[in-house]
Amino acid sequence: MTDIIKRPGGAMANRPLHFFWLADCSGSMYGEKIEQLNYAIRNAIKPMQDVAADNPNAQVMVRAIKFSTGAQWHIAAATPVEEFKWDNLTANGVTDMGLALQLAAEQLDVSQMPERCLPPVLVLVSDGQPTDDFNAGLAALMSKPWGKKSVRIGIGIGSDVDLEVLQKFIGNPEVKPLQANNAEDLVKYIRWASTVVLQAASAPASQVKDQVSTGVVPIPQAPTASDIDADDVW
Amino acid sequence: MSTLLQSEQIIYGDLTQQSYTIDTFLGAGTQGEVYRAHANDKAVAIKWYFPHYIQNDQQLHQRLENAIRKGSPDNNFLWPLELVTQPNNAGFGYVMPLRAANFKSIVDLMRRRAEPSFYALISACLQLSESFLQLHAKGLCYRDINFNNVFFDPDTGDILICDNDNVDVNGATGAINGTPRFMAPELVRGDAPPNTESDLFSLSILLFYMLMLHHPLEGKKEASIRCFDQSAMNRLYGTEPLFIFDPQDSSNAPVVGLHDNALVYWALYPQFLRDVFTRAFTTGIKDQHGRIRENEWRVILINLRDSLFYCRCGGQNFYDADTVKNCWACNKALIYPPRLRINNTVVMLNHDTKLYAHHTDQSQKFNFSTPQAAVNRHPQDPNRWGLQNLSNNAWTITLPDNSVKIVDPQRSVNLAAGISINFGNITAEICV
Repeated sequence: MTDIIKRPGGAMANRPLHFFWLADCSGSMYGEKIEQLNYAIRNAIKPMQDVAADNPNAQVMVRAIKFSTGAQWHIAAATPVEEFKWDNLTANGVTDMGLALQLAAEQLDVSQMPERCLPPVLVLVSDGQPTDDFNAGLAALMSKPWGKKSVRIGIGIGSDVDLEVLQKFIGNPEVKPLQANNAEDLVKYIRWASTVVLQAASAPASQVKDQVSTGVVPIPQAPTASDIDADDVW
Repeated sequence: MSTLLQSEQIIYGDLTQQSYTIDTFLGAGTQGEVYRAHANDKAVAIKWYFPHYIQNDQQLHQRLENAIRKGSPDNNFLWPLELVTQPNNAGFGYVMPLRAANFKSIVDLMRRRAEPSFYALISACLQLSESFLQLHAKGLCYRDINFNNVFFDPDTGDILICDNDNVDVNGATGAINGTPRFMAPELVRGDAPPNTESDLFSLSILLFYMLMLHHPLEGKKEASIRCFDQSAMNRLYGTEPLFIFDPQDSSNAPVVGLHDNALVYWALYPQFLRDVFTRAFTTGIKDQHGRIRENEWRVILINLRDSLFYCRCGGQNFYDADTVKNCWACNKALIYPPRLRINNTVVMLNHDTKLYAHHTDQSQKFNFSTPQAAVNRHPQDPNRWGLQNLSNNAWTITLPDNSVKIVDPQRSVNLAAGISINFGNITAEICV
């Protein structure tokens, strides 16, 4: 009697949520910046897995695109978040951000996506300005229904980043790009994008009155940047 | 990873001046972070707010002070005990009891990482209804019933309700509107602020989720949505809410392959439970006055628990006077144990059934503190089953031939058809 299942049925029905990292690996990221990005993403894996495990509404699948001279898949297969591992990126080349968006757009085509999903989440991390046709890439992304419905977050590293480009990518005036001026902020922002935003896209948390409510899903407030420490500024 | 407080950091209680040492980070939400801490040798939990949340929620401090002054509605709440602050820090938080490790989240239940028996699960639902009744009876409103604010012990069905910092006097202006999927339609549409009646809607949603492992409004309409975004949610839960088992409108019926839990469980439960959920999500969806109140849930859930019986395979099934069903676990025809008919309700007399004052004393409804009777086996003849009198008063039984006997405390009456038992102010009949 102890071996029998206690109640019938399966786990609560849920939907896939496709999460994409789009990481700038151009030459300007070489050295500390790319290592800090690698560290920040590795640091966010466990919290991301914890958030996913605590969310019965979503089945989180992770992919990653790296862009420098051209854009390639860093993690090509949609990987269940429980199995998500991060191989370190290296930096070299120009900033073909537009190509990265094209690559994401291909996978967000209706033919490539499951029929029923939660809004995909795209997190773009960059320290500079696109060197290719960013607008064409963005247009390709936005031409796909899943691209249009995606939740897009832009994280800038350092002071040379083109925040206007990131804002265009986000496409929602109420969600601002995040600018990480030190390693600590980057860790915080990457973690926020991979936990709070992930949660918001699938099972929005308690609705605080008057919070940002336009866009695909309400995005809770991002953490505040820490005070700039002279030793920590790039 | 914590962002607000560090391990070994000391914070101070406003009421007791007690110093609390932070031990470990436990988790984060939209309002703040929760830590395990200790004062002397006593472990507690501390919630510390994000600075931006304190700015957004001007009433927070006052609300917490009120809650601390009023005290917990019952023992199932992880209620704020005192405010905590830190020198040279404008932030604050509060101390609450620490949740024991045997309590699992409702998410664990939804993901099948916690597998209570039906008995324990229904007991958890019952305790939830009782605790919210206590809270509402005090004139308070919870505002944010959802998966993450309730924990339960899968073995016993004991529950804990946390995040009590949004609780306020019903009708007061607050900072939290609720959690999507749990908010009443009028809140989703922005037509009304949270109140006791919207709490009742959220409670019905949570009970449906717990019992059916599915959302009561996610049927065909949900299946037809490709991208489940904010506007889809607003439509499904706010502007076009339609119960998946609405008897008048099947346009949102569950879809086989997508909403199987709803189909499996709906068929399994007795009609009286289906009826009450139908009211909760038809009349109760449009009209705040049509919502199921905790008292009704208590009665229904007790009746549901009393209707449980075992198949020979060990599977727990529900007695439904109107329908004969096969066992969900082994699919064999079910054999009913003897049952006790008490007024309009039926209690299945299983090998482990106990009766409480709730069952045996008209004046003690909802009292489950001490068993007053238990099914037992005859000490010499294991094939004979009886009901043992565990109360301090003798029962009077009337046999089918109208002869009357007395069953003194500790004695047992045979579970034979047609025997009626007078417990004092309630008479019940054994049916076989």
